[in-house]
Amino acid sequence: MAVGRDGFVSQASLLRLHHRFRALDRNKKGYLSRMDLQQIGALAVNPLGDRIIESFFPDGSQRVDFPGFVRVLAHFRPVEDEDTETQDPKKPEPLNSRRNKLHYAFQLYDLDRDGKISRHEMLQVLRLMVGVQVTEEQLENIADRTVQEADEDGDGAVSFVEFTKSLEKMDVEQKMSIRILK
Amino acid sequence: MPRCHILGCPVLSPAELTSSRNHLGRLISHGRGHFPGPEAVGTRTVHFPAPAGDRLGRRSSSKRALKAEGTPGRRGAQRSQKERAGGSPSPGSPRRKQTGRRRHREELGEQERGKAACEGRRKRDERASFKEQTAAPKKEKEIPRKEKSKRQKKPRSSSLASSASGGESLSEEELARILEQVEEKKKLIATMRSKPWPMAKKLTELREAQEFVEKYEGALGKGKGKRLYAYKMLMAKKWVKFKRDFDNFKTQCIPWEMKIKDIESHFGSSVASYFIFLRWMYGVNLVLFGLIFGLVIIPEVLMGMPYGSIPRKTVPRAEEEKAMDFSVLWDFEGYVKYSALFYGYYNNQRTIGWLRYRLPMAYFMVGVSVFGYSLIIVIRSMASNTQGSTGEGESDNFTFSFKMFTSWDYLIGNSETADNKYASITTSFKESIVDEQESNKEENIHLTRFLRVLANFLIICCLCGSGYLIYFVVKRSQQFSKMQNVSWYERNEVEIVMSLLGMFCPPLFETIAALENYHPRTGLKWQLGRIFALFLGNLYTFLLALMDDVHLKLANEETIKNITHWTLFNYYNSSGWNESVPRPPLHPADVPRGSCWETAVGIEFMRLTVSDMLVTYITILLGDFLRACFVRFMNYCWCWDLEAGFPSYAEFDISGNVLGLIFNQGMIWMGSFYAPGLVGINVLRLLTSMYFQCWAVMSSNVPHERVFKASRSNNFYMGLLLLVLFLSLLPVAYTIMSLPPSFDCGPFSGKNRMYDVLQETIENDFPTFLGKIFAFLANPGLIIPAILLMFLAIYYLNSVSKSLSRANAQLRKKIQVLREVEKSHKSVKGKATARDSEDTPKSSSKNATQLQLTKEETTPPSASQSQAMDKKAQGPGTSNSASRTTLPASGHLPISRPPGIGPDSGHAPSQTHPWRSASGKSAQRPPH
Repeated sequence: MAVGRDGFVSQASLLRLHHRFRALDRNKKGYLSRMDLQQIGALAVNPLGDRIIESFFPDGSQRVDFPGFVRVLAHFRPVEDEDTETQDPKKPEPLNSRRNKLHYAFQLYDLDRDGKISRHEMLQVLRLMVGVQVTEEQLENIADRTVQEADEDGDGAVSFVEFTKSLEKMDVEQKMSIRILK
Repeated sequence: MPRCHILGCPVLSPAELTSSRNHLGRLISHGRGHFPGPEAVGTRTVHFPAPAGDRLGRRSSSKRALKAEGTPGRRGAQRSQKERAGGSPSPGSPRRKQTGRRRHREELGEQERGKAACEGRRKRDERASFKEQTAAPKKEKEIPRKEKSKRQKKPRSSSLASSASGGESLSEEELARILEQVEEKKKLIATMRSKPWPMAKKLTELREAQEFVEKYEGALGKGKGKRLYAYKMLMAKKWVKFKRDFDNFKTQCIPWEMKIKDIESHFGSSVASYFIFLRWMYGVNLVLFGLIFGLVIIPEVLMGMPYGSIPRKTVPRAEEEKAMDFSVLWDFEGYVKYSALFYGYYNNQRTIGWLRYRLPMAYFMVGVSVFGYSLIIVIRSMASNTQGSTGEGESDNFTFSFKMFTSWDYLIGNSETADNKYASITTSFKESIVDEQESNKEENIHLTRFLRVLANFLIICCLCGSGYLIYFVVKRSQQFSKMQNVSWYERNEVEIVMSLLGMFCPPLFETIAALENYHPRTGLKWQLGRIFALFLGNLYTFLLALMDDVHLKLANEETIKNITHWTLFNYYNSSGWNESVPRPPLHPADVPRGSCWETAVGIEFMRLTVSDMLVTYITILLGDFLRACFVRFMNYCWCWDLEAGFPSYAEFDISGNVLGLIFNQGMIWMGSFYAPGLVGINVLRLLTSMYFQCWAVMSSNVPHERVFKASRSNNFYMGLLLLVLFLSLLPVAYTIMSLPPSFDCGPFSGKNRMYDVLQETIENDFPTFLGKIFAFLANPGLIIPAILLMFLAIYYLNSVSKSLSRANAQLRKKIQVLREVEKSHKSVKGKATARDSEDTPKSSSKNATQLQLTKEETTPPSASQSQAMDKKAQGPGTSNSASRTTLPASGHLPISRPPGIGPDSGHAPSQTHPWRSASGKSAQRPPH
């Protein structure tokens, strides 16, 4: 029953999210399609916007309903001390844990969902982020360097574990949190 | 936020309650309705009046409390009241609700109570059925928006009403019970340690008890303690919010922050560092301007003698005709020369106005404090920059990963900001590429060393040559100045040579510096230093010419003084005038006067500043803007590609601009003593150049070919500035200490030396014993030991700081090593725990670690640890062989599936909860 412990959001935020959900759902379909999400201005300017939208549609489905919508956003619930201290080890890890937050970020880069960010995937992201201002050769250099930095097992790709390690110093709990999602 | 869901009712802390009441009030009030009545004391749940509802929810998180069937006592009454309150279509003011509620309670009879109880039970059943319905989603969405908004409004009124009424219904009996509870909880806290509970339970219990005590001690305090407490919490929350807003406001108040960030995103931090320096300089000049205007110019204008009252404040008869011509004013002659902008305008009266403001003294002290303040501020900012720079320096691991994975700011929603962010990501990537290339450069040390020595030799030759040239030209010009009818070239030879040197030497230096093959950041520093040395020659000639001028004027002063005396003497004693009537004083414009070398020096600096400013602007307009226009538009009809080929667009000249700024500031420091208005002009100049250069950079420059990251501290700029400050202090100190002031102009006229004003003040205005003390302090026997002591102190502090910084570096190294050991340790441990947990894998990555572990089982953990260490040491390039063992393990990772999204993930059962509570809540709406 204690929904809050599992990384889910409070009633107030649910209400707010539901408002938002319905505002996005313009034809009152009861679900959101990719088109609906593409209308958001902030996502349109984001180089990874498409990836983010894609993350709402697991397994190539065409629609996301409200529970699915909330489930994705639950990753961004701020971490509270209480959550971490009173965690029941038997329970599944809450969606807003550091690991799950990181995993959400990871899958934005992992296009083919094979659990690894390959050099090719990295190049694609780079092209999205810096555009044509940097030469292809330099882009490849960057990608190589990134793989080199993070890659520990020498398979030429960044696995989730390596990804976690490279972002070890990042304050993910803080950065990947939306304050209103209490 | 503490949260406990009873039938989907979240429980909030009081502070949060106040803010989110509008959303949650309804839920809270519902929850309260189902708590057992006052009689059911046996349960862990305690019942409190309405405001305690939220807290109660927490207490009664056990299902037992919910199931406990309370007798329909006061609860029923409250329930029906609440329903009435909640059902009222429009939210009334809390006060009205409250009174209505009280009346209502009195009216309530037994029969109503029974009915209410039934209703309550029915409600509960409803809710239970909803719980079962949760499996089927999508109810929530069908509720029309109108209803929803209504639902949102209602809770506010009901919760307000209930909380308000609760505040009043604290009866004696209830108070006693709360007191008892508080005591109990306190006891619990005290004996928690010895309880045979698991640690997790102890922690939760302890926290609950502490919160309880904290809350109700406040409530018990006095009659209105509860409300006072809520008010306090509200204020605390407001205060936090205010602080956050204020911080935002503060960042918004930083002037030109957006402009500079804009430039930084397009041109890199090195160009931005110039603008940050410019902004800092503007701030310093504003303070100097305030000092001089507030303490010298304004008092003089307000209280000093008006224009035209004495000779020094009047335009002489000979200049009167042209005094208002623009060409004259432009040269700072005419009326401008005889205004408060310049030294000569000030009178040597000891006190002025009804305030008896000691203007000469103030003038002297302000002149000194301009230097004092500048010194302090430069040194302080240097110190704070070094402090800031020691903090970082360990973020050089994973630079590219960081940039790649975390550089985008997901809060950006504005397309313009997004463009900037694109640019800045690109720039930062470029910066790191340059850094990376520099650190990985394979170089022939001997060749590089040879080239560097050669380059330095060439540049020293250049500098010596130009130094000699300057010296030679100055010598020649001194000869020319003695001769009559010299040609235009001969008169302006010094300026021409100086500007030619300034034009050709910097590019020459840059070309030679290409030999050295430095990192561009280091290269910029060298370039700055060399051009600085060149500009020193400029300064030297300027000062030399000025000093000659001053000495010439001083030599003439004696004769002019005699002429003035004679004129006045003759005027008053001339015959042919009626002796009985006193003669009207001679008109001030007619009095012959000296050349006032101080004003001449001030004018010289003023002219230099203005012409410098104009030259800068015109260079920008012609060299950058017109060139950019030409390249841009003529490119359509030209035989080669102008943009990529020869003229191309200009790059922003960091070194030239920084040095221009620094030397300009030197001029201001030197000139401000003789032209108090100079700082005002400079403030204007900096202000306009901020806007102008920002525009010019964004419109007509291109980023450097090798964008490089500026060193975080501007300390090199600051160091140069400090040097210039020191150099500009010297001539001013020299003139103050060893040249006699003009006899007929300025605040120190009639004195032997300018600093005599200090002595005068001490003698006349201070008590005599103070004067004696000062005289004693000025004794060389005391000053020399004091200076020695200062040297000793500096030496001591310097050695202390050196040893401290050494210790600092060692500690940092230690921390680094510790962290690495810990990291490898943790990873080994993490793998072990992952193996221990036998529940189904939650995500692929855990799987991966498990797989990895099974592979690694053969090797002892210490070995893998050392392996990791080795890898670190060897660097990324060589780590492949070391990590070959783990490669097959991660080679066959299962296909990753994000947690919480895949249907078969471990979270699946709990994922319906939010929906359930949402739909349950929406359906709990009392029917009307």
